[in-house]
Amino acid sequence: MVFGCLVRAAYSDAKHNYLIHYLLAVAVVLSIPMLFGVNDLDAKAAAQPLELMMPFTGIILMTPVFMPEQDENIRDTVRAKKMSYELVCLMRLLMAAAVMLALTGTFVLFMKYCGSDVSFRHFCGAAVSAAAVGSIGFFTAAVSDNTIVGYMAAVIYYVMNFLLKSRLGMFYVFSMSSGSFSEKKWLLLIAVLLSAAGLIGRRYRTNMM
Amino acid sequence: MLFLKECKKVIFSLTFWIYCLIVVLDFTSQYYPDCRKAASPPYDGYKLSEDHGRIMEGAVKSLAEGYLANRYICYPLGFYKAVKLNEKERGQIEECLEELTGLSAAEISALDESAEKYGVYDGLHEYTGYTIESIPLSDTLTYERFTELMGKVDDTLGGGSDFKPDDLVFHFSKETLTKEEALKEYADFTDKDRITGALARLFSDYAGITLGILPVFVAAALTAADRKRRMTELVYSRRISSFRLIFTRFAALTVTMFVPVLLTMAAALIQAVRIYGGSNISYAAMFTVPSFWLIPNIMEAAAAGMLLTELISGGAAILVQFVLWFIPLLKDSGMLWGNISRFTLICRHNSLFYREQFITHMGAFVFSRIFYILISLILVLLTVLVYELKRGGRFNGVRLFGESGILRRKA
Repeated sequence: MVFGCLVRAAYSDAKHNYLIHYLLAVAVVLSIPMLFGVNDLDAKAAAQPLELMMPFTGIILMTPVFMPEQDENIRDTVRAKKMSYELVCLMRLLMAAAVMLALTGTFVLFMKYCGSDVSFRHFCGAAVSAAAVGSIGFFTAAVSDNTIVGYMAAVIYYVMNFLLKSRLGMFYVFSMSSGSFSEKKWLLLIAVLLSAAGLIGRRYRTNMM
Repeated sequence: MLFLKECKKVIFSLTFWIYCLIVVLDFTSQYYPDCRKAASPPYDGYKLSEDHGRIMEGAVKSLAEGYLANRYICYPLGFYKAVKLNEKERGQIEECLEELTGLSAAEISALDESAEKYGVYDGLHEYTGYTIESIPLSDTLTYERFTELMGKVDDTLGGGSDFKPDDLVFHFSKETLTKEEALKEYADFTDKDRITGALARLFSDYAGITLGILPVFVAAALTAADRKRRMTELVYSRRISSFRLIFTRFAALTVTMFVPVLLTMAAALIQAVRIYGGSNISYAAMFTVPSFWLIPNIMEAAAAGMLLTELISGGAAILVQFVLWFIPLLKDSGMLWGNISRFTLICRHNSLFYREQFITHMGAFVFSRIFYILISLILVLLTVLVYELKRGGRFNGVRLFGESGILRRKA
């Protein structure tokens, strides 16, 4: 029963609230071959388009998880429902992660087809970078109750990676392009912690309102 | 007073404080380290000679080398892209080369034998690279026709190549500065720029990057705040005209977001006085140049944020401004000075020297600043129009999907 409700809610969410985000994420991935070379790249060069572009899918898909309830009229309706709001948010987050993984996987396979030296490591690295940047947006949107602040934090973090580069240490999301993979485990940890903290923070905020 | 109320709304928003934090961080992490020591003459600097003969010779030679290898390195977004052409496209390049050099197709192909060959390993494959010692230029070739053909070559390569007409000067007329030229650059810095003129350009270069994007978040949050707090209907029903309300909001956004920038300008001036002393520097330059340089950036991002948030959503506003900001920034990342055109949104001059280059582009710089001020005002007028339509109940914002979406309508 609960599962059936969840599936219906997921379908409705995807259709009414997130289809445009999914399409936008697909557009980002489709634009990569126009902006970067993807043919015959070695392992280091192949990481560059993946690490630079995939974080955009994270920002587009993970940051707006709480967006529908930005409208207080919708929030009032959601509050009156029996189904747990956090469960719905978790399901949205999982759907965002699934789309992100599918897009990353498809693009890595496409690069393989184009003769680039990509492996499962590239898939993991790119997906973790996307999740890390996305989780910054997700967490900030959750605690500030403002999706725009979420986008702002995620974009600032992304740009900081450009400016400060490896000075960011374990927070550096483009590390694979410079030949290092060790940052990815920390980024994965950050993504998981921030996602969990975002959901918990949201629960507190919702109860306070 | 409405203006002060709107300023208060901006100041008490979280996005504004994040904006302030980033402006200060940008100043301390980017500008400050570059300027904390007194500058010395740029002995390792370079200049752009803009010698047409040199540019044509260099570009045609580079094109012929790429043609022989059928491998052209492009940087469409500032990042590496190796382009390999098919037979038809290769034929187009060959036609251009024939006109550029006056050689026949057979003579161009014969260059393969005389050129020096070397192996290039890109990590996966080995390619043959070519170095041509010299290549003739057609006697009838004019510089205008040359740039036209280079434009055609750049289009065939998909853009972002060294042959883009606007970038030819930068790629093919670079020369190392002589010691005398380096000393002259330093003399310009101390005498003509009176130090702060040059510091102001560097300050504006760094601050312009931040101010090209951050104001959109503050503007989008302010514009969306009414809807979020269920105040829309209340504001709609007030007597105030949409024109006055929107322009007051825009003015409040521009003024409040300029204040932290003004404070960092004052900090930069204090730092300049400490390093160079107060007698030889121009105090006004540290405020006039950055204000004229940066206010159009704040205005454009704020206006775009207001219009698109009112028209579609805050997310759409951020996306559009991000694309407008990020792509040119990456594309021009190799040319940090001497590259200002009439429609450049983020003007760059990442050096304390090369004053002459900046003065050469002064017309384009002034044009671009006035152009973006006018564009901002047009965007704000459009916001007034959209707001007025929404206020009258004739429009409810563009929705792509959902009940009133333009892509799907329920019966």
